Amino acid sequence: MASFVPTSADTLEDQRLYTSARLTDVACLDCLARVGVKKNSDHHTSIQWSREAREACPELSRRDGRGRDHHQGCPRLSASIESAVREGKVDIGAEDGY
Amino acid sequence: MSDTRILDKGTPPERFARGWHCLGLADSFGDGKPHRIEAFGGQLVVWQDTQGGLNVLDGYCRHMGGDLTQGTVKGDEIACPFHDWRWGGDGKCKAIPYARRVPLRARTQKYPTAIRNGQLLIWHDVEGSAADHDLLPPELPGVGTDEYTDWTWEVVPITDSHCRELIDNVVDMAHFYYVHFSFPTSFRNVFEGHQATQFMESKGRPDMTGGYGDAELFLKSEATYYGPSYMINWLDVDYKGFETEVILINCHIPTGPDSFTLQYGITVKKPEGIDDKTAAYISKKYAEMFGGGFLQDVHIWKNKVPVQNPLLCEEDGPVYQLRRWYEQFYVDRADVQPEMVDRFEFEVDTTKANEYWQEEVAQNLARKAADEKAADEAPTSTESDTPSVMTGT
Repeated sequence: MASFVPTSADTLEDQRLYTSARLTDVACLDCLARVGVKKNSDHHTSIQWSREAREACPELSRRDGRGRDHHQGCPRLSASIESAVREGKVDIGAEDGY
Repeated sequence: MSDTRILDKGTPPERFARGWHCLGLADSFGDGKPHRIEAFGGQLVVWQDTQGGLNVLDGYCRHMGGDLTQGTVKGDEIACPFHDWRWGGDGKCKAIPYARRVPLRARTQKYPTAIRNGQLLIWHDVEGSAADHDLLPPELPGVGTDEYTDWTWEVVPITDSHCRELIDNVVDMAHFYYVHFSFPTSFRNVFEGHQATQFMESKGRPDMTGGYGDAELFLKSEATYYGPSYMINWLDVDYKGFETEVILINCHIPTGPDSFTLQYGITVKKPEGIDDKTAAYISKKYAEMFGGGFLQDVHIWKNKVPVQNPLLCEEDGPVYQLRRWYEQFYVDRADVQPEMVDRFEFEVDTTKANEYWQEEVAQNLARKAADEKAADEAPTSTESDTPSVMTGT
């Protein structure tokens, strides 16, 4: 059963635009994780993991998930994303304000 | 066709979220009387049995619908005020004093309970699943011992808002400036499984008092929702160089399609060299400050409309992804999609926003200084400014 049902078809397109559009595949340089990355600016980063990627990351797997380190990203993945950005593999910039 | 953007208000969910919900401080139910909690479109009855255990049942007797919250605790059971049917914490009718026997089908809705951090939590699932204890929020080390102050606990009923408005704050970087008077200098979100986290560093606005407004107030905040309704917020507060560790619990119980009961609690790690009375005072002051923060939110919620299709700018947080995460609690377990629970990380770029805000604040301060100068020159008595809520700690 769906909840918070949108009443406009355009809303579904907005959901796609904001969640899955313009994600670039970035592979971690140190493990088998591959994530979707979007960068609207130098300081902005959006990282979409999959279950497979999450299981492949030894850094995150070491955490028990209940502590206060939950919000910290994997430093190896961050370095991999920075490297992909330097190599011009990830576009930086927002479309229409996002 | 018009290019005008339409607000899609959507339709609210027909069910209440699956997960653990906090009903309040466990101690507050231990007086041998039945307690009424409005929840999930109805009411619950909470009472303590002779073993000290807390029991939670649907608030209406299955016999003729009597209000159990107006009944009496008799032994381990809650007795209905209408015909004295006795209900046990396991949901079964244990006795009907005037009857030869109890009907076998005399079972009512019971809610599995757990105690966490001195609070009573119950498991709610419209599918009727067994309580999932793996999804409970963590125990907070030291809380409930002499290291921390007792909880300061507040209950605030909210009408005309779906509780998702409260959830949306997890990603709302900019409202901290406009509604709570602080500059978020660092802002990050992580969603994974049943947890959604906001990490923020902020400092108070020097041009504002109330809320978190105060030039000398620095906050480092880590706030995680464990499931749909229970957030633990660890706050490292630096006020005028005086550092305090504060823990804020922000939780709610949905009461209807557009209403909920907000509850929040504060405990403070007792600073060294400070007596209990002063520590309690500090705790109370922080409760007032964060309570004031909630009231600022409530005013916005009560006057806004629901929106399914928020229009975002680059400086906004991941509202759509947060709602995708929140959706998992409103669908059957079998319908939970991978993207609702897969890890997602988002770092908000706060640089531009802070540049603009610093400029605005500088202008406000200059205007204020000019006004004060003009007032000083005028021969009328001046009213004193409202003192900052933090003054005196």
